[in-house]
Formats: sequence, C-alpha cells, structure tokens
Amino acid sequence: MQVLRLEKKRLNHFLNVVKKGFELIAPVKSDLVRFSKIHHAEEIQLTKNSYFPVKEYFFRKEETLFQFEGTRITVPAYEAKKRVFFGIRRCDLNAIKNQDIVFIRDMGDPYYKAARENSYLLGYHCNTAPSPYCFCGSLDLVDFFDLMFFDKEDHFLVEVGSEKGKSLTEKYQEFFTDSQRLITRNEKTIPGVHRLENKDISRFYDHQDWKKGADICLSCGACTTLCPTCYCFEIHDEVKTADPVKGERKREWSSCQLQEFTRVAGDHIFRKEREDRFKHRIYHQLQYFKEKYGVQMCVGCGRCIEGCPTRIDFVRILNEMKNGKTENNG
Amino acid sequence: MAKQKTTVENPYVPKPYKILEFHRETSDSFTVKADMKINHDPGQFVQVGLPGVGECPISICSDSREFIQLNIREVGNVTTALSKLEQGDTILIRGPYGKGYPMRYLKGNSLLIIGGGCGVAPLKGIIDYAENHRGDYKKLSLLLGYRSPDDILFQRELVEWKNKYHLQVTVDKNTHGKFCYGAREGFVTDALKSMDISNNNQAAFVCGPPIMMKFVIKSLKDKGFNDDQIFLSTERLMYCALGVCCHCMIKGKFTCVDGPVFRYDEIKDLEDG
Repeated sequence: MQVLRLEKKRLNHFLNVVKKGFELIAPVKSDLVRFSKIHHAEEIQLTKNSYFPVKEYFFRKEETLFQFEGTRITVPAYEAKKRVFFGIRRCDLNAIKNQDIVFIRDMGDPYYKAARENSYLLGYHCNTAPSPYCFCGSLDLVDFFDLMFFDKEDHFLVEVGSEKGKSLTEKYQEFFTDSQRLITRNEKTIPGVHRLENKDISRFYDHQDWKKGADICLSCGACTTLCPTCYCFEIHDEVKTADPVKGERKREWSSCQLQEFTRVAGDHIFRKEREDRFKHRIYHQLQYFKEKYGVQMCVGCGRCIEGCPTRIDFVRILNEMKNGKTENNG
Repeated sequence: MAKQKTTVENPYVPKPYKILEFHRETSDSFTVKADMKINHDPGQFVQVGLPGVGECPISICSDSREFIQLNIREVGNVTTALSKLEQGDTILIRGPYGKGYPMRYLKGNSLLIIGGGCGVAPLKGIIDYAENHRGDYKKLSLLLGYRSPDDILFQRELVEWKNKYHLQVTVDKNTHGKFCYGAREGFVTDALKSMDISNNNQAAFVCGPPIMMKFVIKSLKDKGFNDDQIFLSTERLMYCALGVCCHCMIKGKFTCVDGPVFRYDEIKDLEDG
C-alpha cells in the first residue's frame, strides 16, 4: 500500500483543516482519556489509549429502533454524520472490523451500517504498549484502517489502507508527500504485547482455575462495557408518561456478566453462577466467535483487566492453566 | 402500516396483525390466532409484542399459510399484557425466525411426540403439519404430560387427536379425579417407559421443562434411540432473534438462529446450566 509522509509540525494544521469538512473524533484527556469531538486539534493526546473504546460511535449505548403511536410505527432516519476518527489503535481498529462482521456482514443493522459508512478510520500505531495489560501481539490482528499513522520522531509515515483513505489524502494533498518507501513488518510489530500464551482454551472448560477470576468477580459488567468488541444488548420500550400511547423501542448495551442476562419466563436463570458467566465471556471472546466467524473476537487491548474493580487478569489465569500452576493467588 | 422514512430494510421493525381468534386454554394460558400469512416450518418462532410493553419469542403452534396460532402462557410482562387482548385487537409481530423441525427429511418415519406443559405448543405445529402431509409419515404417537387436569392444553383438538393417533396424556396428580382424555397419573417418562416402541424408522420430538427433557432423553436412549433421532426445542431469553444480542447463546450456538430446534447430537455437549 502507498505510504505518504506528513511532517509532525503540520499534524494539527492538517486535523484542523479536516475538522472543517468533517466532525473530528479523537482521544482527549478529561477525567479519563476518551474519544470526543475535537474543537481544536491541540486537545488531542496520543500518549495513552482511550479508557473507553471507540465502539460507542457505531454501536451506540442506546439506539432508538423506532417510534410508535399505538401500533403505528415510524422509523427514524439513520444518522449519517460524516466523521473522521483519528488516533485509533491497532487493537481497536480490529475490534471495529470484528463488529463489522456481526452488524454489517451477518445481520445488516441499518444504524451501525449508516454510522460506519460515514466514518473514516485514521489509526495511530503504538510504538510501545500504551498499557501494561496489552496483549494484542498474542492475537491474529490484521491491517484494518483507512489511514495508519506511524510516529517517526519529526514526521509521520501514513499508510493508505483503503479507497476511502486514499480519497482523504487526495482531498488534503497539500499536507502529504510521497515517502518513497514501505512500512516494514518490523515497524508494524508492537514490542512487549505477547502476554497471552494460552489461546486455545477448548480443553480447559472444566479447569478449577476459573474460580480464581469468578470468586472475586463483582458481576458489575465493567469488562463488557469497556470491551471494544463486546456487542450484546437488550431491547425495551419507553413510553411518554404524559401520553403512554406514544413511545420508542430502544436498544441498549447489556452485559453477559449480569445474572438476569439469561433469565427466562418463570425465573429460570441459565447462567446463574458467576463462574459460568465469567467463562462464557472468555469463551465467546477466544473460541465461540472464532467457531462462527473464523477469527477471535478479542483484540488484546486489556481494558477488561485495567477497568476491572478487582483487576481480574484473565490472561494470567489462562497462562497459569496452561502452565499447570494452580496456586490460588488470583 | 409502518411508515418508513428510508428504504433500508430494518430487521427490528414488526408489523401489525389482527387477532382473528382469542381462545383461553387454561387459567394461565391462551391461544391467539393472528392473520399473519407466512411460509414457515413447524418449530419456528416469531417475536410477538405490544407497543409500550415489549416483545417476547413465541413458537408457532399451527401449520397454515393463512394464519398463525400462538399458544402463550402468562408468565411475564409481555405475555400478561397479551392475555388482556380480544378478537379484533392488533398485535405486533416479526418473524418467523430460527430453524424448525426438519420435517421434509423425516418423510417415511413414524413420529413420537413428547411434550411437557407449555412445551406441547411447538409440538402441536408438528401434529398439524403431519396432518396436512398425512401420506408422508407413518404412525403418530403423542405423549403429553401436564401438572394437573386443569393445565391440559389444546382440549379442542385432543378428542380428534385421540381418534386419529396414539395419544397418552399424563397428569402429575389428578387432584379432582376429573376426566381428562384417558389421562393416567404419573410422569410422561413413565408412560414412555411402558410404551412398546422401538427406534426403527422413528423420530422423537421432545419439548418441556429442562428436567423433563433430561429424563425423557434418558428413557429414549434406553429404548434404543440414537442421538440423531431425537429433536429438542430449547427455550432461552431472546431480544433480537437475529443472532446478535447474545442472550440466547448456549455456549457458541445461538438459539434464535441455530435453533430453537436442535438435533440432540448437535447440543448434547453444550449443557451449560
């Protein structure tokens, strides 16, 4: 793929110009680092990965599926804001790729599709692991971006990954020069992110060490909320209190870590125990998704570990299973 | 009718249908006949709902291109709201969804249908289908278990079924000695055990509470049935019915798209509570 060069001192100028044609979303440090709408490119910070994943811009926390008045249904127009996202890491780009499989290729979700089609994904390559919990190197991540920015001291090498990306570089061609080179495999490798040794967990389902995580799990659902790939949701109706005939059917993020997630009529709960729910999350990430779609869902960002109030490090638990260490120090 | 501002097909949007008939089956269950004209297999389900209340998955218990019948038990918000409806009212439905019973591949077989409680509902779809394709199947045997005579479903159909097929109704306890279609006291597994039946050219269909299904499968295995001769219909919580929301996962399988009907050998290793 074509590789262009952008001088570092011109990055903010470039982004400020982009901002005139698109809504620009990038990581900003407020209380935590999160993807936000950018008013001035100077607000962007690239030292840490965002605490919250960027998924909420495509698979929104809450989505109105339709409005109703009695049994008369009106479907709202799907939002189509043109957005440029800057500063998405390799893990999160792969997470978007995995959610594309579910919401676009498999199911054809019109809300997700509209948001994705109108977005440009500009990645930022990690020269070093932004968090001690990163393990993206253990997973089979691929190149997935419109443009990827490689940080090279005084300049960026910008790899073009798609026609969309190419169109952006053409639109803003005054900022780019041809780099006359390619990005090497070595430059795409992130050092120190190969923590997960145990990727095939199929024979560990009945292993006693799952308790190491399950016993200290609070079933709070922080892991699934912070996960860039987790996509489960529930659907409910909201009516206007003043006029209960009118209302909306909404889709909202849910979590397989909550007990009521598998509750059926008559109050039977299929995954009543924390251990079953903990295992279900890890197996969905590393095995079930792969069985269905041919690729592991987990992208190794480590947010579920960093954001866990009791710091359940499932990577360490899995490694210890593989290595036969069973002392209870979880 | 639905007014859409865009032309993109929206899989979440149901359509309104009229209730052609509302029939109370027992004190806590009823059967709704709706004017939904669709092609479907027995064992498939639809998402049924009311605006402002929500949706729930209900299996289709009829076999017709002109209407669908839904047997519904009042156990949650949506089903309780549905129980208050009458003939002529409108309900919202989308579907059909899921994989039903593979009836076309079972031609030439006898059908052994074993249901417990409201698990009889999806099985009635098979009975109706077999009746509409009578030449394709040999003998039909129905073993239907209920808690008490007051819980017996499809009493309108039972007399006909008794005349046409081998029918055995069981009740856990016949509290008031009421006539119930020759019902015997005991569990449906007892009736199965005492039945003279082999697995020869026979397919078994089981639906009911998890504990009942477990014991019925064991009895069928004792009778010589192979895993691939047994079909189960499973119940899980569903929101989307499109294979996405993840609530209905049984390990890696989605009940809403891979099921709700599974051949036993496909899911016997998947029990996760």
